[in-house]
Amino acid sequence: MKATRVFQLTALALMVVSAVQVAWWLIDQRAYTIEKVDAVHSVYAEQAAAAQALLDSGTSAQRVQELLPQITVSGGKAGLAPAAEQALRSEEHRRINQYAWEGAFFLLALGVCITVIARALSAEARVLEEQDNFLALVSHQFKTPLASLQLSLETLSLRSPPPAQARTLIDRMLADLARMSAMVTQILESVRLERGRVELKAEALELHSAVARVVSQLEDRAREGRVAISNTIEPKLYVMCDALALDVVVRNVLENALSAVAAAGGGDVAISARAAAGEVELAVKDSGVGFDPAAQARLFEKFTRLGSGGSAATGNYYGTGLGLYIVRRLMQLAHGRVSAHSEGAGKGASFLLTWPAAREPQP
Amino acid sequence: MSTPVLVQVLVVEDDPHLSAGVRENLRAEGYEVSAAGSGEQALDWLRGHQCALIVLDVMLPGIDGFGVCRALREQGNNTPVLFLTARGDPVDRVRGLEVGGDDYLAKPFHLQEFLLRVRAILRRWDWYRSASATADTAVLRFGGNEVDFRVFRARTWSGETQELTEKEAMILKVLAEHSGEIVSREDLLERVWGYDVFPSTRTVDNFILRLRKRFERDPASPRHFLTVWGVGYRFLGEGEP
Repeated sequence: MKATRVFQLTALALMVVSAVQVAWWLIDQRAYTIEKVDAVHSVYAEQAAAAQALLDSGTSAQRVQELLPQITVSGGKAGLAPAAEQALRSEEHRRINQYAWEGAFFLLALGVCITVIARALSAEARVLEEQDNFLALVSHQFKTPLASLQLSLETLSLRSPPPAQARTLIDRMLADLARMSAMVTQILESVRLERGRVELKAEALELHSAVARVVSQLEDRAREGRVAISNTIEPKLYVMCDALALDVVVRNVLENALSAVAAAGGGDVAISARAAAGEVELAVKDSGVGFDPAAQARLFEKFTRLGSGGSAATGNYYGTGLGLYIVRRLMQLAHGRVSAHSEGAGKGASFLLTWPAAREPQP
Repeated sequence: MSTPVLVQVLVVEDDPHLSAGVRENLRAEGYEVSAAGSGEQALDWLRGHQCALIVLDVMLPGIDGFGVCRALREQGNNTPVLFLTARGDPVDRVRGLEVGGDDYLAKPFHLQEFLLRVRAILRRWDWYRSASATADTAVLRFGGNEVDFRVFRARTWSGETQELTEKEAMILKVLAEHSGEIVSREDLLERVWGYDVFPSTRTVDNFILRLRKRFERDPASPRHFLTVWGVGYRFLGEGEP
């Protein structure tokens, strides 16, 4: 990585130097041509003067013209022949034009190369910066559960607490481990999505049963967080999407809603859907902690975790900050959209997912 | 000021597990503990309460830990702060101490080291407070300057009122307690910062420069804060040779 960067920078520097050289060569050649033409001009002027002297000394005009072919004599006066003047001027133009075209071509070619390399360099710098940020965030995301894990283990070892308290510590450690393991999965998923290494196979999927399947898997968590989930999607609504992508998207959005509601001390999550203009729109409305509308733009970015503040008592959820990012990427790949709305902290939130509608598949 | 029976510690950490773990351990050590999950909550709580120590996470939702510490210091709140952070690089450590933190611990940390640091900070503050508790030790007068250690405020020889930072006050306190004696840089580091917080004794030199600027009539040829080359510093109060 470093060697290519040095190579690119060297190439860039060489090209800039070359461009300056070409520009200089262009100016120099033009000046040289003009200088040469002027020199020929003065030779011609000397010849005309010599011709005039010959004429004055009685040499015949014919003889003078034989001796000096560039000179014409008319009415006893010697002067430069129009054809010679013409030839000189056209030679001057031809040369200057040639330099201008050749120089411009080289400059253009160099300009294109410089732009290409400069763009590559800045794109690379951007990628490096993103990677740095990613690493910093990933390490932060891991260090917190790691710190919690270490603290619980050292508490166990230092204090030998009674069984009930030990149980709490063990549960906490298991949750920290689960959280780190979920994070690894999500980080790998998000990296794969980013690199475009995900091939989605679009097919017609029945939305109600796809959502119902995820809901049934989340029932335990819903109970723990005192969340009532209602699924009022009508059967026979079909969307065009990859089956696994649909599952991941619905799961992430629902998990997000469950956490938000659990953090608010319980409530409900309402899932509904409707068909509109060749699309199917899924709405997930929750009565959870909501979010500041100003934070809406950041919601689907990597590592955004909108903390609900002091929900520590209820919190059995630890966001990785990647869930909604994955949702947005998968929705983009499925030619769909996702958006989120909230009236503000404490006022619940709704997520809208839109896919292209599909026809009921023929058996 | 009477010493409270229980020492109150505020834990500001947005991660519920880590917060709970830290609080449980502090309680087991006999401290009274309160919790805040965000910078805003911490500042809110501190408006109505006092505590002996704040354990402060750096990466918090909303105002981050550095912001909280800076806000407190600007309000004149000198409660000691122990930063907890996932970013342990030197730049971050220095930043934490610049905004007025007392100590810095990188996640993940060892429980015993954490408890040790908590004790060390509280011990230093205990010394400072008890040393400033009585009327005759609370105020220091020298060269026309008057320093009130209880409120970190000084009136200088020029009549200016100056707010001292806690570290400036503590250094001045240590030097004044040993007025006329040589105090080494290492002693000052140990007494004011604790063991390994700062990498170099240069920091002490910078603080002495600041004290000279505040209290010396001519900081370039000091009469109160004297350098003892190769060793440390000597403080001369009123009327001493």
